[in-house]
Amino acid sequence: MQSIKDILNSFDCEFVEDYKKVWVKAKLNSKDDLLSVAKKLKENGLRSLSTVSPTDFLEDNIMEINYFFEDLDTKRNLWLKLDLPRESETCNIESLTPIFPSANWHEREAYSMFGVDFLNHPDLRDIIKSEDFTGKSPFRKDFDWEAHEKDNLTNVQTIVDAFKKEQAENEVDLDTDSSETILNWGPTHPASGPIRLRVHCDGEDIIGIDPDIGYVWRALEHLITKKDFIGAIVSVERLCFMDNINSMTAYAMAVEEIADVKITPFASWMRVLLGEVARVSSHFMGLGMFFNNMGLHTLAMWNMDTREFFLDFLESYSGARIATASVEPGGVRYGLDMAMFNELQLAIEKFDSSIGEVEAIFVKNPTMKLRAVDVGVLSAQEIHEFGLSGIVARASGVKTDIRIDEPYAAYAELDLDYIIQKDGSAKDRFEMLFHELKQSVNIIKKAKKKIEENVASGEMNPTKDHMVKVPKKLPKGEAISRVEWARGEVLMHLVTQEKAKTPYRLKIRAPSFNHTMMLDHLLQGQTLSDIPLIFGSLYICQGDLDR
Amino acid sequence: MLKILDFFDYAKSESLWMAHFCTGCCSLEMAAAMGPRYDWERYGYLPTPTPRQADVLMITGLVSKKILPALLRTYAQMPEPKYIVALGACSFDGGPYNDSLSVIKNPTEILPADVFIAGCPPKPEAIIEGLEEVKRKIKEGIPSAASQGGLWQEMEF
Repeated sequence: MQSIKDILNSFDCEFVEDYKKVWVKAKLNSKDDLLSVAKKLKENGLRSLSTVSPTDFLEDNIMEINYFFEDLDTKRNLWLKLDLPRESETCNIESLTPIFPSANWHEREAYSMFGVDFLNHPDLRDIIKSEDFTGKSPFRKDFDWEAHEKDNLTNVQTIVDAFKKEQAENEVDLDTDSSETILNWGPTHPASGPIRLRVHCDGEDIIGIDPDIGYVWRALEHLITKKDFIGAIVSVERLCFMDNINSMTAYAMAVEEIADVKITPFASWMRVLLGEVARVSSHFMGLGMFFNNMGLHTLAMWNMDTREFFLDFLESYSGARIATASVEPGGVRYGLDMAMFNELQLAIEKFDSSIGEVEAIFVKNPTMKLRAVDVGVLSAQEIHEFGLSGIVARASGVKTDIRIDEPYAAYAELDLDYIIQKDGSAKDRFEMLFHELKQSVNIIKKAKKKIEENVASGEMNPTKDHMVKVPKKLPKGEAISRVEWARGEVLMHLVTQEKAKTPYRLKIRAPSFNHTMMLDHLLQGQTLSDIPLIFGSLYICQGDLDR
Repeated sequence: MLKILDFFDYAKSESLWMAHFCTGCCSLEMAAAMGPRYDWERYGYLPTPTPRQADVLMITGLVSKKILPALLRTYAQMPEPKYIVALGACSFDGGPYNDSLSVIKNPTEILPADVFIAGCPPKPEAIIEGLEEVKRKIKEGIPSAASQGGLWQEMEF
């Protein structure tokens, strides 16, 4: 940590200070220093740029840019801020993509949504937003959404025209004598979900892949600023339905930090318990999807069977199987009736009785091993450079897990170990999912036992301890929070204004964004039949890809 | 002659195949309805990867501006007779994304649905109930809503 501060102090900084346990927070005065600071930070070991998050301060006429650097090895992190002028002619800054490849899509996103121009970026095109926004910056505070969306069908027509133009250009650009072509993989491919990969291929060999994303773009980050702090959890949990509880936890932690509220031990254990139940249900889907994409549907069916029992617990606790809205700032939304644990016990018993068969038939499956062992290999070096996280990072042997690195909720009291694999192939990522599934169920058992003991001894009151009051109006401030989501690291950056009733800005850094960025790199030189396999092994959800 | 036509309606209704196309998050509960506990194959439903063999198109939740042309193209590729089932609050009025201006709030004005299934997301039981409703409509020989009107007929996609 000290070495990061030394580097920053050698430049012209407004402030350099410690933030939480594993962060340094600093603000650069001049944007001209950025490149040289970034180079020194990289030499110092901060190899991943987690995300780039602009905040538009309309009244101060400032576009503030936040860079979040991470070192996955030594767990040192840096939050670097920088002010830019708002005017579109001067709102520009040097791109960090040549130094940190992980910045690539994040800078494109900042360019698309806020109109920040990144100089010397290798490929500065629009991303996520649809073609009718070309040349506009929808996330700027002075953007008039209502005027733009008045005639929505004309906007749809713009999108259709752009698509047709692209298809026509493909025909012209490609030499008719060669066998090169551009295929659209998705958005209706059964394995793809709402994403389209433009696959440039020669016969069966892939030359390159350019993902076209934004098919489920809901502008969540903009939608949240229209809601109050409690109402925003509805949007936050729809980041992705497969694991919605951990994303609510991240948001709630950021609000609690600004409001300066501390939650009760019961609430923090409930967050662990519910979060792991959501992780289990998500991992079950992930395991099933992997085999589905290889053409075998049995595992998905088996997993769905066990998963239902975990959803039963969520349903009895919150009333909804999936959209639970059960974590909110101040704790968890509902008290706990201890009889609900009977359903959880049933789920655990079902899991314990069926997981052995899954391991014997699918995880040790010789055909799967042959097929997936040398496909989609990611080295540890690439994990650092492209800022990958979650099971993808751990499958390549990088020890990163926010539950251990920066413990939240009650994870500090649990004795967790990093689960890692060595080689980083598709097979390793599949096995990671399986081992994490078992780890999550162990955590559920521990958390359940802990809550039961403490309730029995009277230390926790399950019907009263679940919430502490969070004021409706929050002071001016900003906070970041990180959680280990089912798919990887989620970082939320929340900004509030004076006497705020609504969030001023919430940036959500979602892991699938980085993982999708890797598709081109992983699939070059492979064949078309590898696309579903590698895509499935990266455990991508379009919900958090587009937001 | 009348009896034979009735038989074809009956045969159509008891083997509904749906185009595998997800526009939003409700497809997760659709997957659950396919799973062993609810097992919609008991009722003759089957997802098919190609719209060319499908009878039913599901609008699974939100429809963004960008995916609408793909949805309409998928619908156009399906053979007649074809039916549309709208899942979730989003496909009715935008649901939780009603304030989000990048989501289409009236997808069924563009592509009228025969059956709406309420919920966010609807439970698997509700989805099966809704599909049974489609069966009933087919048996009664009611023409599909999208063939009777909707903005999609005037749109280019």
